[in-house]
Order: sequence, then C-alpha cells, then structure tokens
Amino acid sequence: MQDSRQLKRERFSPVTYCLLGAALFLTMVLCICVGSVRITFSDTVTAVWNAVWGLPIPENIAKNIILNVRLPRVLCVVLAGAALSICGAAMQGLLRNPLADGSTMGVSSGAALGAVIAMATGFTLPGTSYGGIMVTAMAFAFGSLVLILSLAYMLDRSLSTSSIILIGVIFTMFISSIISLVITFSSDHTRSLNFWTLGSFSGVNYSQVKLLGLALLVCGGVLYRFSPELNAFAIGEDNARHIGVNVKRVKLVILITVSVLIGVCVSISGTISFVGLVMPHIARMLVGPNHRRLLPASLFSGAIFLLLADLTARTILSPIELSIGVVTSIVGAVAFVVIFCKTRKAG
Amino acid sequence: MSKKLVSLFLAVLMVCSMAASLAEGSSVTVTDMLGREVTLTEPATRIVVMQPSDCEILCAIGCEDTIVGRGQYVDYPASIQNVPVVQSGAETNIEEILALNPQVVLMNDMSQTEEQVKQLEANGVKVAVSQASNIEGVYYSIRMIGKLMGKEDNAEAVIADMQAAFDEIRANSKNEGKSVYFEVSPLQYGLWTAGKGTFMDELAEICGLTNAFADVEGWAAISEEQVLARDPDYIVTITMYYGEGPTPVEEIISREGWGDLKAVKNGAILNAESNAISRPGPRLKDAAIELYNFIHGIKAEEVPAA
Repeated sequence: MQDSRQLKRERFSPVTYCLLGAALFLTMVLCICVGSVRITFSDTVTAVWNAVWGLPIPENIAKNIILNVRLPRVLCVVLAGAALSICGAAMQGLLRNPLADGSTMGVSSGAALGAVIAMATGFTLPGTSYGGIMVTAMAFAFGSLVLILSLAYMLDRSLSTSSIILIGVIFTMFISSIISLVITFSSDHTRSLNFWTLGSFSGVNYSQVKLLGLALLVCGGVLYRFSPELNAFAIGEDNARHIGVNVKRVKLVILITVSVLIGVCVSISGTISFVGLVMPHIARMLVGPNHRRLLPASLFSGAIFLLLADLTARTILSPIELSIGVVTSIVGAVAFVVIFCKTRKAG
Repeated sequence: MSKKLVSLFLAVLMVCSMAASLAEGSSVTVTDMLGREVTLTEPATRIVVMQPSDCEILCAIGCEDTIVGRGQYVDYPASIQNVPVVQSGAETNIEEILALNPQVVLMNDMSQTEEQVKQLEANGVKVAVSQASNIEGVYYSIRMIGKLMGKEDNAEAVIADMQAAFDEIRANSKNEGKSVYFEVSPLQYGLWTAGKGTFMDELAEICGLTNAFADVEGWAAISEEQVLARDPDYIVTITMYYGEGPTPVEEIISREGWGDLKAVKNGAILNAESNAISRPGPRLKDAAIELYNFIHGIKAEEVPAA
C-alpha cells in the first residue's frame, strides 16, 4: 500500500502530462503563427488544418511559407530541444556531474567532426542521401564520449566533475580546430564553421523531422526505461552496484543511446549549446531529482525553450536571421543565473 | 672673392633645385583609400598584392610582371599561378613579405592589422590600402594603383572601358519594377544575400532591376520565408559548382515550396561567376554583361510563350 503510493508520486500524473503537453502545444502554435513574414492567423490555421486532414489547401503565400518552411522547422526545433535536454539530464545523472552535457563534454563537437568528415569525403550510405553523415556523426559522438571518459578515468578514478569537464573542454577546442582544418581543405563541400559551432535550423525538411522524431522516440524511450538505474547512479556508482544494477551494461547502453541522439541532432542542426546543460537543471529545480519526473520535465522544458530561442533568432532582426546558438547561449546563461539565485534564496 | 662665392652658392642652389625637380618628376604620391599619403621615389617595380581584386587591376593595366608576391586567394588571371604565395588576412606573415623585397604592398584594411602595417613601413616597405565598396570606389583604386605603377593612361583606359560598358547597359535597360534576389550562400548552409551597398546591388540597378533585399545592409543572413514572400522575378546565385550532385540552379528549383516563385516558374535563375560579381575589380564589367544577357535571354524566351 505504502509502496504503491510512493511509486505513484514518483511519476507525473496524466494531468501533469496534459498540462505540459498543452504548454508545448501552445508554444508551437505561437511559433508557427509568428515569423519573419506576417501571415494572418486564419490563413495559418487553414493551411495547417487542411494539410493535416488532406483537404485541398488554398493557393496562397501562407501555404508555401507555413507548410514548407515554418512547420518543418518548428517540428525539428521541438524534437531537437527535447532530445538535447533529455540527453543532458541522463548524462548528468549517470555521471553524477552537474556540468555534464553534450556540448561541455565534447560529444557534440565530436559528432560535428564526424559529420564534417563525412561531407568532406562524400561518404554516403547506399540508398540514402543523408545516412552517411548521420551514422558517422553518431559513431564520432560515441567515440568522443568513450575517449573522454576513459581519459578522465585514467587521470582520476573517481571521475570527478572537474577532471571530466576539463578534458571535455580541451577536447572541444581540439576538435573545433580539426573541424576548421577539414573545412579549410575542402571548403567546397562542407557547411561553414559557423553552422557547426553555433547551429542553425534554416532549411530543414520533413524527412529530417521524421528521422529526428524516430530517434527521439526510440532513444527517449530507452532512457526513460532506465530511470530507476539513473536514480541509483545519481546517488553513486557503488550504490547502484550494491542494489543490483549491472553497472557496466547500463552505462554502455545509456552512453550509446545518448551518442545516437546527439549524433542525429548535430547532423541536422549543428551544435547547439546550453539546452542540454541548463534545461535539466531548471527542470530539476522544479520537479526534483527523480529521473521518472526529471526526464519528461527536461524533455518538455527543452523543447519549449528551444522553440522560443528559435523564434527569437528568426524574428528579432527580421529579415535578417540570427544563429540559434547565439540566442540559446545568452538566454540560457541569464535564465540559469536567475533561477539558481532564486532557489538558493528559497532554500 | 665674394662674387665667386656667391656664384658658387648660386650654382650649388641650382644643382640642388634641379635635383629636387628631377626627383619630383619621378616620385609619386597617392592618397590611399584610408586617406593616408603614400609616397614612392619612383613608380613601383616590385609589388606584393594581397587581395584578388587588386591583382586583377594590376594585370588589367599591364603590370603583371611587377608582382613578386600574391595573397593566398589571388587566383586570377591564370598566369598569376607562378608568382609566390604569401599568407594573407589574420595569418599575414611579415617576414615572408619582406623576403620578397617589395617596394609596395597593396592590401585591404579589413584583413590586416595596424601593427602589421606599421611593421612593414618600419622596414621601408610602403603600404597602400585599397578597399572599394562601390563602383566609384573601384575606379578610385584603379586610378591609385595606376599612379603607383606609373601607368595612369592604362588605368584611365580600363576605367573608360568599364564606364562605357555600364553606360551602354544602362541605356538599354528600363526599370520595369522587376526584382532580383542574389543568393550568396545556399539554403543548406543558411541563406545569405547581398543587400544595399554591395556590387551586386549596384549591378542590379545598372541593369534596371530592384534588389529584393534592398532593405538589408551589406551581406546578411536572411530567412527563407522572406524570399518566398518577396517572390523575386529573378534569382542570381553565386554558389560554385564542383561537378557533382545537382547544380546550384537545379538545387534551387528542387527546394520545397520554391516552385511557386516567379523566378523558378520562368526558369529565371542564373548561376553567376562568383568572383567576377563579388570582387571590386575590372571584371565587374563582365559580371554586368553576364547579368544583362541573362535578363534579356529570358525575355527573348518569354515572348513566344506569351
């Protein structure tokens, strides 16, 4: 009796999920309706509504802009924000490290290097236009993660926060110089350095949305299933071992899952910093450290945050477009400090 | 005695003034494009050129054989490939330049720092800055370089040739309110266009077109939505084609939602020679002619269809 009540409170109730979903949905509606080109609300709704139900779409400018530019972009942003944030939350729990994140640990830049190399060498998987880049990005993301963790383990067996982050930062710098080297030697085929270091969602399409959605569904599901293990890891690796967690196997599965998800994200949007680092903290301040609550909360807050950041990047200097990384870094840092101070005062 | 002294003094004075006037005759002074005075005792015979456009100007006025070093992006005309390359921009290597023993270094303000300029001048190498942001500015750099090299006549001829071409195009073009969108960077890298204050904007004006992004200053990242909403009559992309995959024009046509644009429907997309259209040099003339022929070629095809 006692136990089952405990378990219930550990998870979000369906009502909470509905509320979170509603908040995300409203933000999405806002982001689809507002953009650098002004389109009336009714035109927007008609275009989306008719497209969803397969009705004939009135031929006007709204159809093109909403359905071919804004909608795929908003969907991509939602999925990427959710994916990056849930990855950050999982890594922070697994490594018991509040600063762990794809961008601080060099995983994102590793993935970017993989994507750049695949583009520069023209490596593709037969039958797909994009598969080669994505697979190389994933492989490099996983490789970097393993490399950084084993280096950190060699130097400091307790895997302390500072040594992992130090190695991650050095690795990121090293990788970005390699990326710029590769770009210098093959300037014709790869995207600009700006794209890989600051990120951008311009020009995304529905096939990328599908890929990202699939990756998030699978990897997010895996991570959520491992919430109890993550809870155990968050207390300590020894603790996890003592309560019967297969530490090695769980660690490997989570690391691979995170690498796959970050690899897919980076190959589509470049590296976007701060989402994976800050949003899990904000979520943790709101819902506590239990991963059953923390992972979904991170997912929703990451998606909403990135949506708003992208909206700002698209509209603030219209018709000029900012890099989304500029916005996430500024807003993320400020939001983090504000929330941190508030919770400190309250505590 | 005193008479002798006076006459001797006068003679010395005369020789001195003659020497001075002689020196004046061969020395050249120009005001470079930062407003600095640059004086050479005689027209330059050894020159290091850091920017591609200045090299094109030098070659156009017949001074190719005076170039002893070139910046790493200098690649036109093809015969320049035999000249030694020096690092340019942030990686400018002063030693490398001094080793070539030039009298003058022609460079751009943006890419070199003040310290680098001072260092060169301390070593007796004159630095002339050339940075044109409009066609009038290009004429100024051609004149300045012509004077530095003692080839004023050739410089004037190059300018007259450019002016004549622009005037002819202008005379044959009417502004019918058609708009053109210049694509500097394709969608997959994030769209960039050339707005007000660029050569492309000026060439559009010469050809009787309106730049669709005249409200943007310089080169800028713009959102895809804006291009679709502004629905340009012509699209000019300067993306280079490297012989694999879809050509830049095919890529634009295949973009989701771009099929409804006037330019795409009419096939009015030009893949322009990017160096000619973006470098402040004599080849702007070629770029203008290319743009003019493109616009009129399209018109000729449209007539039977309509």
